[in-house]
Amino acid sequence: MVAPPPVPATSTTTPASTPAPRVDPGSFRDPANRVFHADGQVFRGLGPQGAEDWRALAGTDFFGRLLAEGKVCGTELADPETLPASVAGQWTTVLRHERIPFVSYPYEWSFAMLRDAALLHLEILRTAVPAGFTTKDGSAYNLQWRGAEPVFIDIGSFEPAQDGEPWAGYRQFCQTLLYPLLLQAHLGLDFQPWLRSRIDGIEAAALRRLFGGTRRFRAGVLKHVHLHDAIQSRYAGASTGSVREELKDAGFSRELVLATLRALDKLVRRLDWQPPPSHWSGYQETCTYSTADREAKERFVTEALAEGDRPRLVLDLGANDGTYSRLAARHADYVVAVESDPAVVDQLYRRLRSDGERRVLPLVMDLADPSPGGGWRGVERGSFAARADADAVLALAVIHHLAIGRNVPLPEIVDWLVGPLTAAGSGGRLVVEFVHPDDPMAVRLLANKPAGLFPDYRREEFERLLGQRCTVVRRLELPSGTRTLYLGTPRG
Amino acid sequence: MRSLAYLDAGSGSLIVQAVVGGVAGVAVAAKLYWRRLTSRFRKQPAQPSQTSKQD
Repeated sequence: MVAPPPVPATSTTTPASTPAPRVDPGSFRDPANRVFHADGQVFRGLGPQGAEDWRALAGTDFFGRLLAEGKVCGTELADPETLPASVAGQWTTVLRHERIPFVSYPYEWSFAMLRDAALLHLEILRTAVPAGFTTKDGSAYNLQWRGAEPVFIDIGSFEPAQDGEPWAGYRQFCQTLLYPLLLQAHLGLDFQPWLRSRIDGIEAAALRRLFGGTRRFRAGVLKHVHLHDAIQSRYAGASTGSVREELKDAGFSRELVLATLRALDKLVRRLDWQPPPSHWSGYQETCTYSTADREAKERFVTEALAEGDRPRLVLDLGANDGTYSRLAARHADYVVAVESDPAVVDQLYRRLRSDGERRVLPLVMDLADPSPGGGWRGVERGSFAARADADAVLALAVIHHLAIGRNVPLPEIVDWLVGPLTAAGSGGRLVVEFVHPDDPMAVRLLANKPAGLFPDYRREEFERLLGQRCTVVRRLELPSGTRTLYLGTPRG
Repeated sequence: MRSLAYLDAGSGSLIVQAVVGGVAGVAVAAKLYWRRLTSRFRKQPAQPSQTSKQD
């Protein structure tokens, strides 16, 4: 269960004395291996047992196939000669991993993303089990994304299977993948807050309480939730060691593990979620753009990103249907499209996935309540702010939602927008749209607040604040006359 | 037998997999329960306490 977080920008340059490797704070749960970052690369150190398992795994056909198909993250044996001095000697074997462009967490994914992640986990396991391997765990945190393509990252999780043993990761799979999917597919509840608040996911006992009455007969609920919870309670005092022995004696087999995986796969494929139609009818009303505005805006964004060095990472904050994220992806290595509406993100993801887009990562996140750090010491899962190290930030039609809709002071919004560009410095780009107070959308938002609550919400004030933090390279008022776009570079 | 499980797989979560696995699994689960049941009525020989092997 290891998610390598982004490497600090400073580590891409090698100073005279090699910096100490940074141990990944999210990789401690399995003591047999640790992920760490050094010289802008991601490594995994393996102890003696892990090294033995790796040798066995590397020799299998199935693992080679998964690697070639990109279903597991790129992994190779690191040459000890090339490792930083401080790393050498600490581990029996060190692996080098492909870098994930932007680390994200299940509570930032949409329904279809979580479902595809679950299906990939099952597929990996269904490929591994016939070859005599299993995974030690079954966590949603075993997965990451290359754009809209899931990838299994926890190579340290593979180990030779013991005959006659069930899958050790089943409970974790339920808690972090299956239960959140059941919650949304059957009850229409967004699963993200549940996963965000509990690092180990949703307990069977908690979910069971939501599936009383006839709801217990919905697909997958009776067995995986009710029965699971009942047996868990019944065997709370039994050690897993003795239960494993008993199951083996009773004839549990590899075929049964495969049957369980098949059943899970079939169930997960059946689960689906669509927002109620009223969601979209309400949504369309909020999208008010004339064709002329749209064209001018697209031109402005394209030019802002196409000139100068190609951005490595673009954050599209308030990405909506992803139009500008896709546009940005033509001129950048990778785009993270952040949008607070889970239904909008889900639709965007489904489109990106069917297009095979590997450079746009859609994420569900409320910009006024971004992901905090989580887990042990609050750093096992990185906060969004800690991961958001970008070369360009797009904030199109979003400021008014924060300033008027959520009462965030304008100076703080501008500070926050340039925050992800700190490492990029004056090479960074901020493309921001200011919706004037007389724009229909702003008027609608203002109508919900007492008159005169936001005297500073004016174009002149926004320009003054932006000018303090950025050199404004270009400015364009859209044809409608109620919105202005700015391209700024942070003052060094 | 080596035991590498760093994770507490959960005793109940292991057993329920037999049932989830379908007909063959139910047979395993039934056998498991039958053995547990009959062991209660069997004379308890000087059985060594449960070997705690892992986790």
